[in-house]
Amino acid sequence: MVDPIGAGLVALSAAIAISVTGWAASIGEQVVGSAAIGVMAEDEGFFGRGLVMTVIPESIVIFGLVVSLILLFVALPSLG
Amino acid sequence: MFEPQAMTKVIIAGSKDYMGIAIDAMYKRDVVHIADFADEDEDFKIGKPYARVSQLSERAISLRSIASYLSIKGKEDIPNKYSERAIIDTIDEKTQRLDFEVTQVTDNISEIESRIKDINDKKRLLEPLKSFDLPLNLYRGYRSLAVFVGTLKGSPTISDITNDYEVETVPYGRGQAIALFVPKNFEDDVLKRLQEQSYAALPLPEMEGTPRDILVDLDAKLTELASEKHKSEEELADLRQQYIEFILASDEYLSIETQKAEAPLRFATTKNAFIVEGWVPTNDLELVQRDMDDATNGHVIVAVDKSGDADVDKVPIALSNPMPSRPLEVLVKAFSLPKYNEIDPTTFMVFWYPFLFGLMLGDIGYGVVVIALAILVSRRIKSQSIRALATVGLYAGVFSIIFGFIFNEFFGAELFGHKGLLTFVYEYPAIPRLDNVLTLLVVTLMIGVIMLTFGFVLGFINEYRQHGLKHAVYTKVSWICMLWGGVLAIALILPPLTTGSGIQLSAGLVAGLAVALVGFVLLIVGEGVVGIVELPGLLSNVLSYSRLLSIGISSTGIGLAINRLSEALFFSKGGVFIIFGVLLLIVGHAVNTALGILDSGLQALRLHYVEFFTKFYNGGGIKYEPFGFSRKYTEEQ
Repeated sequence: MVDPIGAGLVALSAAIAISVTGWAASIGEQVVGSAAIGVMAEDEGFFGRGLVMTVIPESIVIFGLVVSLILLFVALPSLG
Repeated sequence: MFEPQAMTKVIIAGSKDYMGIAIDAMYKRDVVHIADFADEDEDFKIGKPYARVSQLSERAISLRSIASYLSIKGKEDIPNKYSERAIIDTIDEKTQRLDFEVTQVTDNISEIESRIKDINDKKRLLEPLKSFDLPLNLYRGYRSLAVFVGTLKGSPTISDITNDYEVETVPYGRGQAIALFVPKNFEDDVLKRLQEQSYAALPLPEMEGTPRDILVDLDAKLTELASEKHKSEEELADLRQQYIEFILASDEYLSIETQKAEAPLRFATTKNAFIVEGWVPTNDLELVQRDMDDATNGHVIVAVDKSGDADVDKVPIALSNPMPSRPLEVLVKAFSLPKYNEIDPTTFMVFWYPFLFGLMLGDIGYGVVVIALAILVSRRIKSQSIRALATVGLYAGVFSIIFGFIFNEFFGAELFGHKGLLTFVYEYPAIPRLDNVLTLLVVTLMIGVIMLTFGFVLGFINEYRQHGLKHAVYTKVSWICMLWGGVLAIALILPPLTTGSGIQLSAGLVAGLAVALVGFVLLIVGEGVVGIVELPGLLSNVLSYSRLLSIGISSTGIGLAINRLSEALFFSKGGVFIIFGVLLLIVGHAVNTALGILDSGLQALRLHYVEFFTKFYNGGGIKYEPFGFSRKYTEEQ
């Protein structure tokens, strides 16, 4: 029998992991992205490198994703 | 295929008397990439452009202004090429005549337009008064009467000022149009009252007759003017039809002549000689030498400059890939052109890009849509780079379908098997994504490890060629060791950690840790302590590939939600609701396809640019731009 409160807490933790990291990544990308677009207005050849720099903060949300996947698919089943 | 086209540095030199002929010869062959001369000193000066430049640009300006009046954009197709000789003979006379004719017609059109505007203004003023049926001359010229004609909110309430008035009102817009006649001595009071009701006077045009009759007249005039304007526009269209070939061809001719006349600005010259530094694709070298010999009777020489080989940064880059991988060049160029001694990653992207895209989209239905869109775009759109992207889309669509079969997905639903849409078809062991999240997570991370290793191997080759074996081992083998040692160690540590049993110190674990340590030491030796800063990057690079799974299941999830919603809300009710259900399916899946293409496309690109390219690719090459012109509208004589 799965403990309902425990399962709920795991699911909630997974939600927090993905949403907070997503939020954080978006703040980071906002800053870098607007600067990158500024550079692209000057030099269109910057697109590739601009894209690279813009998506660097995205690793945060990827970590969050991995954490929540592990919570949902490893931690949650191990409760029961 | 794996490298940019081979280039040879050449020095073209000769007497100034032959400079014009040499320019023509180079221009015609269209292969010499001129390196602009910039370092002037006492002996060598930057060349002077030919005097005919100013005349050429004057002609070009008048021609382009005519072209813009005739809305010729310069991209139109014409059936036959124009001979250059014919242009040279007639350009001045024809341009002058054309200028005269076009100006006449456009002046005429703008005059008609101003008259139309004038009439429309008058109509706007008279429109409110047309139901009053009072000739215009009765609104003015009284000695004892004040007249208010205008618009007002509500009806005029002036009975407390005087009862001695005449008023006509008619609903107009949100309020009323009024014509109010009061004795002159009440004028100020009445005006004040009216202004409280947002009175706006209508300035009446100086015309005779009732507004109704005048309006009929004006309308007749408008029709007449419109047909006149139409006639002039037809004249303009006739002119366009008649001269479009001449204009396009002459514009091209002038561009070519201007480029040729300005070419000496890129040369080094002395009092009597000129020298051009440049690059020629090695395959075309003999061709250029022969051209120059023939044209100048050996008076201008094309010599190979061996000293240029050392300076790889300055070699212009022309990518040379076989036909199937050429479309991917657009994506490489969007990042940066390779340096001359760097591997051109285009060929590898032919596999990896569609593979990653297909893995994310992974749906037979969406894959078919992607292919259909790609074919449609390449049929309809002429732009080279967009067509290239469409071809990339075609490859990506094929991979999406392949993965669609593996995941058994068709517009978010199962296609084959006892729960699928086609129950009668053999049920093969598919891997539905939503049921195999953890397995697929491991698979995507392993794809990441393989792709990164491949990147490091390419990086090893680059480093080896640029800086030698030792450097290549320090900077690339170190990372490969840490990557694989780390993967092995984590693979052995993680399972016992999750199940809660203790970690066994097995031979594999020791080996993994040892390999990782060797890599770490190599890195420290090669790059110093600074190298440690980059270590977490390797972990995030690998984890980054988990997006292959997450993008995939989110697209599947949305597709599934659309199907379930349309079933629960509409199809289950039957009757007319089925139409709504179909509508929801079409709109929902269209949106999901668009999201899927955009997201999978960008994320696959990102995995290349950020994770893959950074392991071996610096870029920063100069684009190969040969001195010449690919003629579209003219032909030489």
